[in-house]
Amino acid sequence: MATTKAELGDSIRERVRCALKQQPQPTVTVLSSLLAVQDAIHYLPDEAIEETAGFCKASVNEVWSVASFYTNFRFTPPGAHVIEVCWGPSCHLAGAQGVLAAVQQELNLFREGETDDRRATLRYNTCLGACALAPVISIDHHLKGRITAGDAKDLAGGLLVD
Amino acid sequence: MPDNISFTIDGQEVTGKPGQTVLQAAMDSGLYIPYLCYFPKMKPYGACRACVVQTEMGERKSIVASCTTPIAPGLVVDSKTEQVTDLRRGIIELLMAEHPHGCLTCHRVELCGPQDICQRHVSVTDRCTICPKNERCELKDTVRSVELDLRTPLNYHRRNLPIHTDDPFYDRDYNLCIVCARCVRVCEEVRFDNAITLTNRSGVALVGTSRGESLLESGCEFCGACIDVCPTGALVERDYKWEKAARQVTTICTNCPVGCQMVAEVNRFNKVVRFIGDLAGESNNGQACWKGKFAYDYPNHKSRLKYPYVREGGILKRVTWEQALDRIAAGFGDRDGSKVAVIASPRGSNEDNYVAQKFARSVLKTDNVDTALNLTPRVASTLQKRFGSAGSTNPIWDLEGSKCVMVVSGNPTEEQNVLAVPLKKAARAGAHVIVIDPRETELTRYASDWIRPKPGTEHILLVGMARTIIDEALEHKEYVSSRCSGIDELKRSLWKFDLSAVSRVTGVEDTIIREVARNFAKKAPASILFGVDTVPVDLHGALTDAILNLSLITGNVGVKSGGVFPLYAGANTLGSLDAGCSPMAERGTDLTVEPGLNGATPPPMRDGVADLFAGMRSGEIEAAIVMADGMNPGAGPLGDAASALRSLDFLVVSAVFDDEVTAAADVVLPASTYTEQTGTLTNLERRVQLIRTAWTPRNEERSGWQTFASLARRMEAEGFDFQDSGGVFEELASVVPGYAGLSHDRLEAGGIQTPCPSSDSPGAAMLHAEEPDDDAGRLAIVPLPFIGAAAPSSDLVLAPGRVLSQPDKPVQVTRRGDMNYLHRVEVVKVHEEDAKAMSLMEGDAVEALDDHGSRLAVGVASLGSPQPGLISVTTLFAEVALGMHDADSPDPSPRIPGLPLQPVRLVKAADLAAYAVSSD
Ligand code: SF4
Ligand code: SF4
Ligand code: SF4
Ligand code: SF4
Ligand code: FES
Ligand code: FES
Repeated sequence: MATTKAELGDSIRERVRCALKQQPQPTVTVLSSLLAVQDAIHYLPDEAIEETAGFCKASVNEVWSVASFYTNFRFTPPGAHVIEVCWGPSCHLAGAQGVLAAVQQELNLFREGETDDRRATLRYNTCLGACALAPVISIDHHLKGRITAGDAKDLAGGLLVD
Repeated sequence: MPDNISFTIDGQEVTGKPGQTVLQAAMDSGLYIPYLCYFPKMKPYGACRACVVQTEMGERKSIVASCTTPIAPGLVVDSKTEQVTDLRRGIIELLMAEHPHGCLTCHRVELCGPQDICQRHVSVTDRCTICPKNERCELKDTVRSVELDLRTPLNYHRRNLPIHTDDPFYDRDYNLCIVCARCVRVCEEVRFDNAITLTNRSGVALVGTSRGESLLESGCEFCGACIDVCPTGALVERDYKWEKAARQVTTICTNCPVGCQMVAEVNRFNKVVRFIGDLAGESNNGQACWKGKFAYDYPNHKSRLKYPYVREGGILKRVTWEQALDRIAAGFGDRDGSKVAVIASPRGSNEDNYVAQKFARSVLKTDNVDTALNLTPRVASTLQKRFGSAGSTNPIWDLEGSKCVMVVSGNPTEEQNVLAVPLKKAARAGAHVIVIDPRETELTRYASDWIRPKPGTEHILLVGMARTIIDEALEHKEYVSSRCSGIDELKRSLWKFDLSAVSRVTGVEDTIIREVARNFAKKAPASILFGVDTVPVDLHGALTDAILNLSLITGNVGVKSGGVFPLYAGANTLGSLDAGCSPMAERGTDLTVEPGLNGATPPPMRDGVADLFAGMRSGEIEAAIVMADGMNPGAGPLGDAASALRSLDFLVVSAVFDDEVTAAADVVLPASTYTEQTGTLTNLERRVQLIRTAWTPRNEERSGWQTFASLARRMEAEGFDFQDSGGVFEELASVVPGYAGLSHDRLEAGGIQTPCPSSDSPGAAMLHAEEPDDDAGRLAIVPLPFIGAAAPSSDLVLAPGRVLSQPDKPVQVTRRGDMNYLHRVEVVKVHEEDAKAMSLMEGDAVEALDDHGSRLAVGVASLGSPQPGLISVTTLFAEVALGMHDADSPDPSPRIPGLPLQPVRLVKAADLAAYAVSSD
């Protein structure tokens, strides 16, 4: 129904506004504002672009220019869990390719993105900063090192059922 | 001024101005260094590197971008060393990897004529011949100047992006974009709209809008600046997209009093196919607006009037000019001067207006002559009387440097668009912007202070500000004592303007009035732009007086980046007044009817064109000649002008198209347009500029002055044997004060600002720049009475506003058939008291109806109007752009609605859903 959609929009707007206002640091920029929103609601909905524009006295286009520049900003809601597979040089040498293939197969994904049931999001990472433990994956920002393809498959599968 | 700087480019001695870059200095001295992202009058950007050169300073050699490298004495620049040319080729080759370049690298390109599309050599998506910019493409010239090495073919990666064709006026094909960001920069740096931006990054960086939405939603004002700077076919005007220019004619836009200088491109069939802002234009610096850029092509229209017609038995019959003139002469016969009128075109040239009024006065013996858009005669006459000219005191681009700009009751971003360009620049540079207007307009977004007095009390608010300035001794005492007179009288008159009374009448808190007054007084130089959109006609003079006083006591007249700018409606309002084409031209000058002509005293002068139309409605005026080009005969500012004209006994209309006005005419004459005549226009900054003939009339069209001169000769009047419009101007210059030093020949080289008393005078950029020599030369400050607004004609007033974007309100653009529609629910702001009286709730659907019951606005009520009695609705500018784009009328520009206040009734609407769709 139109009304519920509008209400939903409003509540997202409210949450975006809250996040914008509650930035603790003294210098507020378009970038800091977008980060604050993404931290709060995990993605940048259309409302976030509009509200940030109003908040920073910039045009929506300027905000979009910043938001679309950084690959870490996302514009659709993420899945319930995020699994990141590192394919940086160390991990690559240590067999990341197999790990990635196993995770993709388990999640039925062929590239980065969300599973159909939106339970999991797969992302690639170019270095998770733990090369000594290569190959590395991260689940909801928790690192798992020396991972095997089999373990990765199980962990990924676990995300779909819990 | 620091000295010029000498250095060398490719062994040639070059001098440049301090602060210039190598590229600019090279361009000024006629040397060519290839460049792509640089564009004159924009900041250097240094993105494309096409402009690489080698510089040598002492021992240091380096390879730099010439567009970002400042010149220095003794600098040695080399643009042709092998290293440089290699590098440049490499750079262009990289660029070509993403741009169709089959034709650019083809060995027979010089042989390839425009129609000669080769069948085999270059693939279809790779050809310049299928690009709208073909033959006027800057990229092509630049790339060819680089002389790519063609032994190894280059790859071309086509982006395969859809072409954006949904917006009004122009298409965007980002497959052709080279990401030079000229468009993004002009939109941001020059127009301050930020409607387009760079998106994404690295290999996929491109130009676009937020989330790819349409320009209608992105805050675009459709000024076309981005199209004019685009070096490729990525951005092109949709109309006449594929037309090639056979020649270019420099001319002046006739849609508003800014008078932008434009380059009109004319094709070989004598059609004007493009209007491009002329970088050499002093009034516009290369800028233009949606009206100038896209409402130029009515001269091409098939349905134009071509021959004279005379009504016989209710039907218009084609006749010769001689027969038509006979009929007109008979129709006017010897009607009394008080019973006839001449209405000239708001687009008419000074020559047209001069001959029109000469005809009216010396042949018809009447002072009833005016232009159709001279709607604010009291503003003009007050300025004329007090400052000696009805134009602005300062040049338009002086506004760039203002520290404070006050905009009163006007909407320049829409109606005098390019005037707002330097204003916005000043605002971005930190100028304090004060907007005094009950409406929300684009400029309110820039306003530091947005004051919303009750409509019709603006002048009282301004005097209240003057009172504060005097009370707090903030006036510019030295300036006032050396340049002005009448300050004591003003001070005495101000005791009536007790701030609590001012506050009560205007509805603005006294603390706010004080604050604004202080801001205005302390931030010098300060300029004022003023219109009378929300001011009742009987208060136009009072408002003007209040504004001039304020500008004088703060020492802003005759000061760079200060001054006052009247916001007139007609393109040549000032020129027509100068040429005497107004009932209000001063009695006893060469221009007015001599007392005693016809053996009688002339009738009292009428009060401007509105009064002439009132005279037609009341029957006092029986016969008229109307130049209808550029006039809105419908419900425009003159009310229903067409019905007033229908009530006449005898009506002659000279027009470009058939419309309601010609339908009422007894004689219809075909008028030529700006493309078919040479003449001058005087813009609001007093600049007299030349429009030039692009082609001679195809049929029997005649210009205004030709029409009146031939009629005068037919009526056996003397003094109408003009050879050409230059000859008319010569006579005009000998009669009109301030034009004496001007001639068409002189104006060929560029516009000149009046007064220009002699042929060696450069004209006057600024009025009253010098201190007066004697007391007579002092500028008078005039005491003002506390006159209130007339009682409002209705309880509620609608203040329609217009902005470029409203990010907080959901807008949806959809496509139906070939057209775009905007969907949106408008918010009608109502004051709490009025809502209570009508038992309206927040969120109720309401509609605002005018006297005739036509619906002016509809939307959901929101309790937020600042004033009881005031209802405001703010629409998106994009709707006007769509409206103009889809207009049936061949010349839509006069019909673009302004934003006047209107009395309304507010009623609850049954169901809002029915109205959620709008803007067709
Ligand atoms: S913009 Fe058009 S004309 Fe210019 S080089 Fe590209 S394809 Fe050719
Ligand atoms: S037409 Fe629109 S996008 Fe282009 S410069 Fe003007 S405002 Fe910006
Ligand atoms: S659209 Fe034109 S002006 Fe804009 S970046 Fe692309 S090529 Fe340059
Ligand atoms: S600002 Fe006025 S003169 Fe300039 S292009 Fe627009 S309508 Fe024409
Ligand atoms: S490369 Fe995988 S963690 Fe560094
Ligand atoms: S013109 Fe110098 S870098 Fe583009």
